[in-house]
Amino acid sequence: MGKVIVVTSGKGGVGKTTSTANLGTALALLGKTAVVVDADVGLRNLDIVMGLESRIVYTSMDVIDKQCELSKALVKDRRVDGLTLLAASQKNNKDDIQPEQMKAICAKLRTTHDFVLVDSPAGIERGFSNASAGADEAIVVTTPDVSAIRDADRIIGLLQHAGIEPINLILNRFSPQLVGNGSMMDQADVLDILNIDLIGIVPEDSGVITSTNRGIPLVYEDASPGSQAYMRIARRLTGQRIPIPDLEEKGFLSNIVNWFTRNR
Amino acid sequence: MANSIVALRAYRDGLHLIIRPHLSIEEVEEAIQQEISRMNQPLIGASVQIDLKCPTLKKEEAAYLKSKLQETYNLTVRSIEALDEQVPPPIAAAPTTHAIAQAMDTSNNRESEPSRIIPYTIRSGQTENFPQGSLIIYGDVNSGAEVRAGGDIVVLGALRGNAHAGINGRLSAVVIAMDLVPVQLQIGNFISRRPINQKSRGYPEIARIGVEDVIIVEKFVKF
Repeated sequence: MGKVIVVTSGKGGVGKTTSTANLGTALALLGKTAVVVDADVGLRNLDIVMGLESRIVYTSMDVIDKQCELSKALVKDRRVDGLTLLAASQKNNKDDIQPEQMKAICAKLRTTHDFVLVDSPAGIERGFSNASAGADEAIVVTTPDVSAIRDADRIIGLLQHAGIEPINLILNRFSPQLVGNGSMMDQADVLDILNIDLIGIVPEDSGVITSTNRGIPLVYEDASPGSQAYMRIARRLTGQRIPIPDLEEKGFLSNIVNWFTRNR
Repeated sequence: MANSIVALRAYRDGLHLIIRPHLSIEEVEEAIQQEISRMNQPLIGASVQIDLKCPTLKKEEAAYLKSKLQETYNLTVRSIEALDEQVPPPIAAAPTTHAIAQAMDTSNNRESEPSRIIPYTIRSGQTENFPQGSLIIYGDVNSGAEVRAGGDIVVLGALRGNAHAGINGRLSAVVIAMDLVPVQLQIGNFISRRPINQKSRGYPEIARIGVEDVIIVEKFVKF
């Protein structure tokens, strides 16, 4: 019996889809079976980021309408074993699906996969309630800026209300340089506000843009810092204990300050 | 602006009505009427104690004024004092609505009032409303969240959202937070905004209405 994890954020453009694609691929690379589910009906993107858009025949809408079997609608990623995609319909909109129907799909998928990652749309309306309906756990993606954090906070409140536990945080597009010169919130500030467990920090990486455009998730390239971050998060999802490396760029002075505070 | 015959002043022990000497009782009555109607907060119906301070008022005149104040404005006269003219009266400022309200406010029974404890963080989009009394929050109030209480608001964490204490108009309500960085703070009908780029100070703070009729924030040492 696998885990159903909803990847959500509240605000758009913080990296939900990128995170879902990379984590799904990373889990498959680690030998797990994973299915990534696009819950963004009408505005689907996960298929493009995964590079599978040309291979979609059926969508989750067809499964709900009983046009095809669920197993037939799953698009297999040929680059790695154990990775499949369930695409969303681009012709419909979010109100055409009921939370119970998504729940039923997730319940079926978890019997055949170790991980079911549901890519939630932005917002707190029907799309979000559909995406989170069948989830046991949640990953909230945020960037270290105040608007994304406020929306993440809202989403965490809704997830807690729905009884989804645990809720883990991915801090995306983190820039050690900007934190170092004081123009970006650091990890401690973000965690102080959101008060949930951090599962990983993904540094700002221009490779994300090229990988999205090429349809090849970043984790296929070992060298990039973003890829390494997603691989670490995937390992943590499988239960491995991997410390979160300190990405913050420390100046000489703050090193001294840290040395003193640590020994206090 | 100021009435030259009578002056209503707020002091720590309550309201004082000061009457200038050598005037006829009619003039004084007229001036009191003017002074009270000038207030931007009605005193009528409130049980406010008033000291009459006038050196030349005759005993019967004072008694007449006392009953008049009681009848017309429902104000209780506590004492009538003859003020020595050589000593200038310690008039500091015009009566503020805050001072009047505080003088009027005999209803702040912090001990007997109910209070509600919220043992978690209030997140963006969530609200807590408790008009019956005070709210105590064992967590944070995040940006986008709102807490409203009839009495005080105590946040044993960071207050980053909106807080409104004394929603029923109680101006003696206070807001206390371990980290007081709200977007907007209201006490009664007074409102204040966070200064731009205000950082947390690292110590608990208390917000209340000061004598200048603005919300003041200071380090919270003890109540």
